[in-house]
Amino acid sequence: MLEKKYFNKLKELSEPTRELFGLVSITVFVILSFAILNIYWGGGDELIRKMKIEEKRIAEEKKLNEVISSLPSGIVVFYDGSKHYKLSKEQYEAVCKITKLIPQRAIMAAHFLNHKAYELYTINGNKIDDTFVKWDKDKNKCFAGYTVSGSNVGVNETANVYGEVLSFLSTGIDTRVYFIKNF
Amino acid sequence: MELLKKYPKLFQWLFLLIVFFALCFAIDVPETYKFIRGQAEFIKDPNQSTYILFGKEVRYYAFDNFWRLPPLLGWLPIWINDGLFFLLNEWMPMEFWDSATQEYKTRPLVLQISRNITAFMTFLIELIREILLGGVETIVAFTSWNFVSAYPWAKLPGLPWTIVAAGAAILAYKLSGKGLAIFAALVMIYISVFGQWKPSMQTLSFILVAAPLSFIFGLSLGVMAYKSKRVEKALYPILLVMQTMPQYAVLVPAMVLFGIGDHAAVIITMVVAIPPMILLTLIGLRGVSPEVIEAGKMSGCSNWQLLTEVLIPTARRDILIGVNQVIMVCFSMAVISAFIGAKGLGWNLLLALNQLNIGLALEAGLCISLIAILLDKMSLAWANKQTDYFGNLTFYQRYKNTIFFGGAVLIGAILAIFGSFFFKEGFNYLYEVPHNKGISTADFWNKGVDWIFDTFFVYIKAFNTWLITEVLQPMRALYLRMPAVATLVLVVGAGYIIGGIRSAFTVGGLTLFIALSPWWDRALVTTYMATFGVIISCTIGFIVGTLCQQNKYTTNFMLGVCDIFQTFPSFVYLIPVMMLFGVTDTSVLIAVIVYATIPATRYTIEGLRSVPAALHDAATMSGVTKLQRLFKIEFPLAFPHMMLGLNQTIVFALFMVIIGAFIGTEDLGQYILKALSDKAGGGKGLVLGICVAFIGLIFDNLIRTWVEKRKKHLGID
Repeated sequence: MLEKKYFNKLKELSEPTRELFGLVSITVFVILSFAILNIYWGGGDELIRKMKIEEKRIAEEKKLNEVISSLPSGIVVFYDGSKHYKLSKEQYEAVCKITKLIPQRAIMAAHFLNHKAYELYTINGNKIDDTFVKWDKDKNKCFAGYTVSGSNVGVNETANVYGEVLSFLSTGIDTRVYFIKNF
Repeated sequence: MELLKKYPKLFQWLFLLIVFFALCFAIDVPETYKFIRGQAEFIKDPNQSTYILFGKEVRYYAFDNFWRLPPLLGWLPIWINDGLFFLLNEWMPMEFWDSATQEYKTRPLVLQISRNITAFMTFLIELIREILLGGVETIVAFTSWNFVSAYPWAKLPGLPWTIVAAGAAILAYKLSGKGLAIFAALVMIYISVFGQWKPSMQTLSFILVAAPLSFIFGLSLGVMAYKSKRVEKALYPILLVMQTMPQYAVLVPAMVLFGIGDHAAVIITMVVAIPPMILLTLIGLRGVSPEVIEAGKMSGCSNWQLLTEVLIPTARRDILIGVNQVIMVCFSMAVISAFIGAKGLGWNLLLALNQLNIGLALEAGLCISLIAILLDKMSLAWANKQTDYFGNLTFYQRYKNTIFFGGAVLIGAILAIFGSFFFKEGFNYLYEVPHNKGISTADFWNKGVDWIFDTFFVYIKAFNTWLITEVLQPMRALYLRMPAVATLVLVVGAGYIIGGIRSAFTVGGLTLFIALSPWWDRALVTTYMATFGVIISCTIGFIVGTLCQQNKYTTNFMLGVCDIFQTFPSFVYLIPVMMLFGVTDTSVLIAVIVYATIPATRYTIEGLRSVPAALHDAATMSGVTKLQRLFKIEFPLAFPHMMLGLNQTIVFALFMVIIGAFIGTEDLGQYILKALSDKAGGGKGLVLGICVAFIGLIFDNLIRTWVEKRKKHLGID
């Protein structure tokens, strides 16, 4: 009864008013549909939070890449060496942060002073477990290291090699640890 | 309230705009939005959300939905790709006889069908090429290479260019008279002398296969649609979408099914050319008066006789205009299909544009345009030609053209033989002018381009910079700044105000499809470019059209110019703009403006011409000035017609924006172009094409609905 009453009232409205009413309704319908969709699919704030971190990471990576591209190809060092390009303090930190690779050459050099690591390394087919290159904020120095593990005459052993990095190899595309000072 | 009753539409638009802008201001651009947009759509970013539908995983950035909707239709391109792959590689494997290995092989049905179609098309193209250019491929198809080696006479030479030129001139004379015959002869001589004979004949051979097949299929489907409402209803949505679908987009799925080469180009051209043929057949058959049909039935015609002896001959003109449209589409496709390896002028044009060799591109483009104009004029003349059924002609009068052609074949053959003795350096110029041995103006044009750059570089660069930084970039930013909800409210609201609830839901549905695809932002960029082109084109078109319409001679002149410009394949427009503005967005937009101004001008002139002369007289008698007559009588009455021009302008602009991707825009067209070189690009290309088609259809629906209502209101329906 009540519906009929309202329906009749609606019918009594003039054409322009009805049209405007229709427009308002359809607008509200669209906005409401979006609101409902937002409940199920929207990720607004969460996405922004994640992407801010990502944006920061990419910006930092870009900055570090710029540092790398500004370096000459070849050996770069952070000490007074007449033969090689000397890194500034900022460059040293940036290069340390972006370097991820410890090539075999650096590993072999470190093994000169770590016989156990050398043995494990050669016995187990030149396998390396974990590597790291990290910037020590307190000491303002770059450190790199790796773990070698495996069976040595039937006994499972592990050797950690760890030391300061003062020289890197710049390839123009990336940088690699050149020498680990593990003494 | 009184005001609301007096100006109801004004209030509705006002309300809509207020809501739209309120939403735009209320919804902020997400902080990292620019950064996210910079990431590629399909990179595997751990920050993306995922959903799985129909077994397909779709990754997307979960924005606030008021800003951008999630790509809930992201599964569609993947699903289409998988569907195509399944059809081609797995569905219905059957045993087929392989004549090469002389044994049965198991192949999926669709793959076998596509191979058979491919072989058939290749055979037809080769056959025509051999007639025009000479060769042995078709003979080998019937015999073998050994047979050809054993019998050297089987190596048939192609027709000398003199015979083809004479044949074209005689045909043009038969259809339209001296003027067209001279034009045909000049075009053919130009093509030969400029060393474009071989690519031209390659293009022609591909068109001579595509056009008749499109005609046959188009006519048959048109007749079927005329006879059966069900067929018409089934065809209607396809025809509608194909009208606004960019031709590029069809390339990708067809490439997946049929590979690359001339045969694939023919199939794609058919896909694009059949819809206008169906439409014009349908219009022609619908236009046959019931009295004529009744007379046919009374004479005792069977259904087949009624169709072939009464309906089709009566609708002849519209059907032949359909043939004209088919030929024009074939020419525009001649360039586009070069992207999938079709040989000929289109391929040369594309190569030249890729090398930025404007001179060479201009030569190839001019050739395509000239042949297109010639065939356009010839097919129109054929459509308008009345057969004299009652003429009492002598044998000579009846067969004079055939006799002349026979004479031309004889003279051409003698000349070619004579030429083989006369030209000693190995090239018989009376048989065929080789591609790099003809006259070339490429150097002249290239030097011209260099001169333009040297002389006007500063001004061109200043204009370019101004346009991009002051106009285009802010406009683009405005479009991208629109939240999805605001855009949808605006489109749905406009649909409601113009055409009621039905129109609102139609345009809303089309917009929603684009918004739920992964390419909403690109669609906004496409729309911005098209809008810019349309605004400028309409302004120029309406002014030029109005000015030209004031005089009978200028009207005819301008309609002639529009005719010629409309005949040029769309790709040709890129050549002069690249000459002036290089590879920039400005080039694309200028090409869009030039291309889209044609329908705007044409429809303005035709709209103003459609105003009844009696109204002119009545106005003059009432003492109105020329300007008053124009603004108070002619414009209001011609406006619905002019709006149809706007509709066409939008479609033309969209087409050109998509083609402009070749220069390097970053809109939907660019993604279609990328899909061309993507192994799994079939689905993407098709969905992107549908998105562009839907943009066109949204405007089409709004404008057509408004025009119909307005016409009813003015009583000119």
